[in-house]
Amino acid sequence: MMWDTWQRFKTDRYGMGGLVVVILFLIIALLVWSGLLGQGWSEVSGNGWERASVTHWFGTNRLGQDIFQRTLFGTATAFEIGLTVTICSAILGTLMGALAGWYRDSWLDEVILWLKGVLDSIPFYLFAAAVAFALKGSAWAMHLAMIITFWTTTARIIRGEVIRIKQREFIEAARAIGLPDLKIMIRHVLPNTFHVLLVQSTIVFVAAINTEVILSFLGLGIQDGVSWGLMLAESSEEVLAGNFGNFIAAGASLFILLMGFNLLADALQDALDTRRLGK
Amino acid sequence: MSTVALNVKNLSIWFGDGAERKQLVDRVSFSVNAGDATGLVGESGCGKTMTAMAILGLLSTTGAKVRSDAIEINGKDISVLSAAQRRQILGREIAMIFQQPGTAFDPVFTVGQQISAVYRRHTGGDKKQTLKAMLESLESVGFKQAGEIAATYPHQLSGGMRQLAMIAMATVCKPSVIIADEPTTALDGSSRALILQQLERLRLQSQTAILLISHDLTVVKQVCRNVMVMYCGRLLEKTDCESLFSHARHPYSAGLLSCIPRIGSTRPSRIQSIPGQVPQASNLPPGCHFAPRCTRAESRCRESIPTLDADHQGVVACFRPL
Repeated sequence: MMWDTWQRFKTDRYGMGGLVVVILFLIIALLVWSGLLGQGWSEVSGNGWERASVTHWFGTNRLGQDIFQRTLFGTATAFEIGLTVTICSAILGTLMGALAGWYRDSWLDEVILWLKGVLDSIPFYLFAAAVAFALKGSAWAMHLAMIITFWTTTARIIRGEVIRIKQREFIEAARAIGLPDLKIMIRHVLPNTFHVLLVQSTIVFVAAINTEVILSFLGLGIQDGVSWGLMLAESSEEVLAGNFGNFIAAGASLFILLMGFNLLADALQDALDTRRLGK
Repeated sequence: MSTVALNVKNLSIWFGDGAERKQLVDRVSFSVNAGDATGLVGESGCGKTMTAMAILGLLSTTGAKVRSDAIEINGKDISVLSAAQRRQILGREIAMIFQQPGTAFDPVFTVGQQISAVYRRHTGGDKKQTLKAMLESLESVGFKQAGEIAATYPHQLSGGMRQLAMIAMATVCKPSVIIADEPTTALDGSSRALILQQLERLRLQSQTAILLISHDLTVVKQVCRNVMVMYCGRLLEKTDCESLFSHARHPYSAGLLSCIPRIGSTRPSRIQSIPGQVPQASNLPPGCHFAPRCTRAESRCRESIPTLDADHQGVVACFRPL
């Protein structure tokens, strides 16, 4: 299945472009994590608001910190938040959604739907602030707030898919060859939700990075480090004064990464959906 | 002397209890010998598929209540087995072929992967054995390029080919009983002939017992020696195909036969159908369920239930057979 998918994916030029972009950013992030790039993000290496030059490729910010270094470090932050939130909320959402869908109308379904309803009814930023306050400025407060609120959408979608798939005849056929429920779920139900989960995950990834921008702007986000969100927050004052360094560097990075990610997801969805193959 | 492969004794299926009770299948008994094919015919909604599902024990998730004296496969009662024990038998000793071959395959795996999974599950064979068994079963249903078919996804095959692949999947473990639920209903004429040929081959070569469920008497006639006519969850007539076609005893069977259009006969003044409608399962008439639609019905038909032994030959459940 993996090999077939790759063969189909390879023929999609936009998808391959997206993959290259995402991999490039991922390499930058890996280099930052391993301490080879972007380590000078907090160092004051010049005067405030310098223009782009050989020493400061994207110029400097108000304090004289190098914007290029900060952009590189921001890449790692974006991946760290995006991946953590996406993976955790996808696992939680799939588990909850699959349980609710498979045991539809049982007490378990009721409990999960009730939990989802409660979480969805709390205004998100208020909730994030509450979590941040409860965790007393922990670096994980933002992640936790996002995971707790983002899984509900995934769960709703997976629940609907599972209910739809459960009624398909091949589930009955799987029972007729003697497969137990758990195996039917793992082998036949979940793989059929995979392309939906993938699309939903890209939406969550993008939403996580976007939300980080807003939360960081409100002071509820990154505690130690720098992110594109913090850079955009800084630039809100600078742009009025005619300094576009932060704005362009963070904005363009955000745009290119998210665009690459969306192209990748789109192509992956087509490649994974075996029903779209020609006759 | 052939052995009894499938034996069903007094199978009943119903939903709800008390006044809400809906009787879907009522004390149905029959058996199919190894190397024999038996047809189960009746109008849509008369309980044919329910009977098949109950034999396989697949009704537990639907809330339907099932009771039977015994459901025996090769003399072993599977109705008393636990769910886990029953799963060991499904697919290996008894397999089912579904009406919609398009949706009975999982769309995300290739045909070969799905057939292999059934084989591996029941035999624990290694990769090489599994591959060999999978290709053999695809070849046995008539695919010349079994390897290519194995690598395709279900939707890439035509309806007829999918149904052939379905038969390959059902027979990969060489079960002794196959239940085919309307296997040709969704297919065109030539595909239908292919499928029926395969069922015939299984019956003759592998001595498989086949229960063929269909609403189409002509299909049943082509494959089966024996036939059972079902109406509102009861068997009304149980006989061999030849006598049914030459001389149907139950008025309902006769009605079904008269509904088959014939090529070459003079055009009838109007298309034949049985007057009236199939009653609801929650509102079955007392006595013979067919009495309200029957032209021969008399007062005792509406009062007491005729058993299959009403004619003292165990053939027809009717007080006034034809």
